[in-house]
Amino acid sequence: MTALEVLLFSLFNGILYGLLLFMLSSGLTLIFSMMGILNFAHASFFMLGAYFAYQISKYVGFWPALIFAPLIVGVVGALIERYGLRPVHKFGHVAELLLTFGLAFVIEEVVQMIWGKAPVPYEIPQSLKFPAFNWLGLDYSAYRVFMVLISVAIFVGLYAFIKRTRVGLIIQAALSHPGIVGTLGHNVPRIFMLVFGFGSGLAGIAGVLGGNALGTEPAMAIQLGTIVFVVIVVGGLGSLGGALIASIFIGILTNIAVSYDISFRGFFMALGVSKDAVGVGSDLVNMTSAGISPILPYLLLVLMLIVRPRGLFGKRDV
Amino acid sequence: MIFQKIGAGLLGLAMAGALTLPAVAQEPVRVGMIEPFSGPVAQIGIEVYESAQFMADRINAGGGVLGGRPLVIVRFDNAMNAEKTTQQVKKAIDEGIRFISQGVGSNHALNIIKQLEKHNKRNPEKSVLYLNHSAVTTAFTNELCSFWHFRFDANVDMKVAGLATQMGRDPNVKRIYMINQNYAYGKSFQAIARIMIAQRTSAELVGDDLIVPFGKVLDFTPYVAKIKSADADTVLTGNWGADMVRLVKATADAGLDVQFYSIYGGLPVSINGYGIEAGMAVRMKQITEMHLNDYQQDELTPIMAAYLAKYGHTWYGDRQRLIWEMFAKALNKAGSDDPVAVAYALEGMTHPGPNGEIWMRAEDHQIHFPLVVSTLDDRAPRKIVYEKQNLGVGWKTDGWVSREDLTLTTTCDMKRPT
Repeated sequence: MTALEVLLFSLFNGILYGLLLFMLSSGLTLIFSMMGILNFAHASFFMLGAYFAYQISKYVGFWPALIFAPLIVGVVGALIERYGLRPVHKFGHVAELLLTFGLAFVIEEVVQMIWGKAPVPYEIPQSLKFPAFNWLGLDYSAYRVFMVLISVAIFVGLYAFIKRTRVGLIIQAALSHPGIVGTLGHNVPRIFMLVFGFGSGLAGIAGVLGGNALGTEPAMAIQLGTIVFVVIVVGGLGSLGGALIASIFIGILTNIAVSYDISFRGFFMALGVSKDAVGVGSDLVNMTSAGISPILPYLLLVLMLIVRPRGLFGKRDV
Repeated sequence: MIFQKIGAGLLGLAMAGALTLPAVAQEPVRVGMIEPFSGPVAQIGIEVYESAQFMADRINAGGGVLGGRPLVIVRFDNAMNAEKTTQQVKKAIDEGIRFISQGVGSNHALNIIKQLEKHNKRNPEKSVLYLNHSAVTTAFTNELCSFWHFRFDANVDMKVAGLATQMGRDPNVKRIYMINQNYAYGKSFQAIARIMIAQRTSAELVGDDLIVPFGKVLDFTPYVAKIKSADADTVLTGNWGADMVRLVKATADAGLDVQFYSIYGGLPVSINGYGIEAGMAVRMKQITEMHLNDYQQDELTPIMAAYLAKYGHTWYGDRQRLIWEMFAKALNKAGSDDPVAVAYALEGMTHPGPNGEIWMRAEDHQIHFPLVVSTLDDRAPRKIVYEKQNLGVGWKTDGWVSREDLTLTTTCDMKRPT
């Protein structure tokens, strides 16, 4: 690959990966912007989506699973809001946060009880397994293209729904002025329940599409739980556009870090670390950007919190 | 208080024994098994326990050890937390257990080795022996070697040496790309592989990456692109778990024409994760002490059938049989359950293995047996069964690596109790 090709590849692949990240975090940012709840169990809904899709696709195939798995996850989410979050709402956001935190553990245990502790063989549907195009010698499967399309559709659909429709306006108003919206005859608790269910359903869609690409196992929620928080904090809590840009930025950042594999040897040697150092010193001298690429988003998170606590497009501080 | 507990336990066992099997109504030989039985990787611990329990049942059905004493496996859950392993070792010792078995995770193994060194020095009359079935960090039988530790699995150096020997025979291996996990095990794989590739193959090492381990990498596409642009024909990796599953999925998804040489790519739990189609596409190869389509020991056939019928899994690691057979043999040879006597009995022991004699080297307490490199194959006669599901693939032998080719020098300077 030439230098230009490496750059183009990193940008392109970074965008693909970023769109997957956006799909993962869209539901979380929606729930936060509409309800102010930081849902720690978001990745668990993602996991439920993957397991439901595995179970459904075993009997009736992938396409019905794509419809029904997110619906079931959405219903589960709505029920949790109705019977879990709503009663603790009056105790404030800390109580809600703790509830979702505990919920993540409960969901993991339930998943292990039903589907066991081993990964389940949830695979990409045959109908989308063919390579859609080939670039620089790598096949890009139709399934990846499909994932990108869904992700873009989620962004456009959500954006239009919240900003352009009457229902979206009522939902927004219900967050900032629940009393007035209630007086106007809208059932505010029911709006919250539907929003939470809808956000969970979005996590479910991501689970259906991501579960077979990343592997469906009980540890997947823990592995993905942190990265979605990076996305929404960097993008600005509650900002849909911010989440999209942060996702793509993180995608490109990690891709460039791996593709270019920059060595920090010169940097640390300039700081006085000997090239023959042992222990921590040798780790520093031999560190490369590829080796730390999965850590970069977290570094970005810390930097963002120091420099601009509200994130890229956030309207309030964390 | 401890004695009361043991007393009560013994009484219970003696009564249970009296009711069922009067012949073995003697004090059991207890082994504390410390593995993850809860948490995200509990599946591995559960499968290890099942095979140990299966072997204990077999040995007990054949009359037990030391003239009729039963072998009892006692579970201790470490939840894959190395700190907890240390606590559980202490708990096992407090319960009067003198033999510990563990294998999942070399950081746990390291804690046990260090802890027992200390404990046994302070309490020579209550020493404890550690039977390691799978923790493969080579240092445990080199500079960190201990009289109280015995390893019943080939170490990383031996497995990589075996893979390199087979790669040297394989005309399709010309350009090798290495990917490993950036922690003690992955780095030791990398270090020895550089040496072995140079010594045992004429192939070129065209890439050498360390990744952040344990499922932190979600998107392997940039690595796949690097493999492609390095024009590699072979990927050599020590990865396991999600790091293996995602690498295989991404490589197969990009339609790359490469083959995989691995240590852990063949674990049934991994095959289940990346899927048969992807595994076949990358021609997944593994190195083991035997596989279900290749062993010479006839008595293994009924053992494998009985295990499959009972637990719904194909017998995978034969060392899970060998460790208990050798332990029982050592107890009988020593004529007592004194860990020091058992350790001396194990030193230099030979035992019939799946393919010829196996040998526990006294110098460093490292087991030696031939290893076989095999490829995932859907036309193999016997297929892998996992969680009662027939996966539709089995293993086909590429080649055997002799015990001599795997006997490497050790730097161990063993301190034996006087």
